[in-house]
Amino acid sequence: MTQEPLEDRLVRFFSARLGAGRPLRVTDLDRATEGFSQETFFFTLELGDGDTRERRSYVAKREPEAGLLEPYDLEPEFRVLHALSADPLPSPATPFFERDPAVLERPFYVMERLPGEVPIPAAGASGTGPFSAEERAVLGPELMRRLAEIHAVDWQARGLDFLETPAPGAEVAARELARWEARIARAALPPAPVLVDALLWLRRHVPETDEITLVHGDYRLGNFLIERGSGGAPPRVTGILDWEMVHLGDPLEDFAWCASVLWRAGTPFASGLLPPAELAAEYEKASGRRVDPERVRFYELLSIVKMIAIMHTGIRAFRDGRAPDLRMAIFDHQLPFLHAALAMLRRWLPGA
Amino acid sequence: MRIPPEELVDGCVRTLQERVLPALSSRFARGQLYAVIDVLRNLRDRVEEKSALLKAEADSAADALARASEALRAGSAAATAAAEEIAAAVAAAPADPLASRRGALNEAFVRALERIDALSEPSADAAHAALGGHLAAQAIRDIVTLKPSLLEEISRG
Repeated sequence: MTQEPLEDRLVRFFSARLGAGRPLRVTDLDRATEGFSQETFFFTLELGDGDTRERRSYVAKREPEAGLLEPYDLEPEFRVLHALSADPLPSPATPFFERDPAVLERPFYVMERLPGEVPIPAAGASGTGPFSAEERAVLGPELMRRLAEIHAVDWQARGLDFLETPAPGAEVAARELARWEARIARAALPPAPVLVDALLWLRRHVPETDEITLVHGDYRLGNFLIERGSGGAPPRVTGILDWEMVHLGDPLEDFAWCASVLWRAGTPFASGLLPPAELAAEYEKASGRRVDPERVRFYELLSIVKMIAIMHTGIRAFRDGRAPDLRMAIFDHQLPFLHAALAMLRRWLPGA
Repeated sequence: MRIPPEELVDGCVRTLQERVLPALSSRFARGQLYAVIDVLRNLRDRVEEKSALLKAEADSAADALARASEALRAGSAAATAAAEEIAAAVAAAPADPLASRRGALNEAFVRALERIDALSEPSADAAHAALGGHLAAQAIRDIVTLKPSLLEEISRG
């Protein structure tokens, strides 16, 4: 494994693509701590010098050695982002993908850095969540419009059918359930009885749908890039991040994930934005699609199962010594919250 | 706990040594970190999950399984057979060590859920409700021992 500094390797990578004989420097290189899955690096690229110097901000996403969504393959995510780069959707322009391990040891892609900050779904000390009431009133409807835009993408025309198209009907939901059950099985941790109870219910209540759309897969507070308004200007959504779970499926899977109790940030608001019923009304208005409560109930429960599968995978990587990252260890004491969420959604506990 | 205490300690030590120590330049901080590693390595073979927690979980599971078995006895022949299996599994769970007892009862619980799921009759609903009572109670027991999360600090660094 090369010990050459990351900056130097990035300079060589970009010189071959953007240099054209101009001097090129990588500055302000920093690794993000927010993402628990892929490794994320921020940096500035300086092209040229003197009066002609140009500065561009980029983000590199690299496959981790081991992690929450292993086995990793960045290419589908890159291909989707690349295909959507010119869209009005606030997805970052994503020009480069590199699989050659000689460059950064593991595959990575590079996208343009968008302005804004990423409010995270942790409960703050004030208990007010990440947004003010005024911000919520603007961002809630806007984020549902953006979600509706993602679901309206003509994925066949964009050549995104490499994402494995499910057959209409029950296969759409059944395939997702099977995918996450397989992850739980691979992690090979003793399943909590409450998880088994939820899986049995899900298998018996697989909904049907004929709607197959692009599904972001991780559309929720923590993946929204927001520019706060200043001087009375309203906030705006500048980016939708982390497309690593993108697939083709039921659009209500995205809605249920966004509205899940996982992302309330200590508030009663779905993704810190609006009460779930109001968020559903905004999505219905933006998409023209009914938020079917039966499908949403299935995907709500599946959302918790998905998060448990992700945590089991991280715990397994930690236990096997493949992920020397203590953030994986904290999942061991995060799981009880998810088990309680399952118990609530299954109505064994009051509160759902 | 999905990570046995000794594996948790091993993982902490490995991460601190391989990932955190190389990033520390302060001699004081490095010395303190070495002390943490030393403490953890010596704690490794002296810790285990609290017996009171294991006992509470095992007792609750055994009680729920007994009530589920009782409910199934009022049902069809298939339900009665399931009741016998559940009662036998509870009786077969070792009394100690408590971790083994908890593990065996959880396995019996999972099998009971699957068995009851395959039945479609009122006795199965009553049995399922009995098991649900344990699922709810255990969820609460697991949460009350947890400390406030540092997730925001962990995320922000």
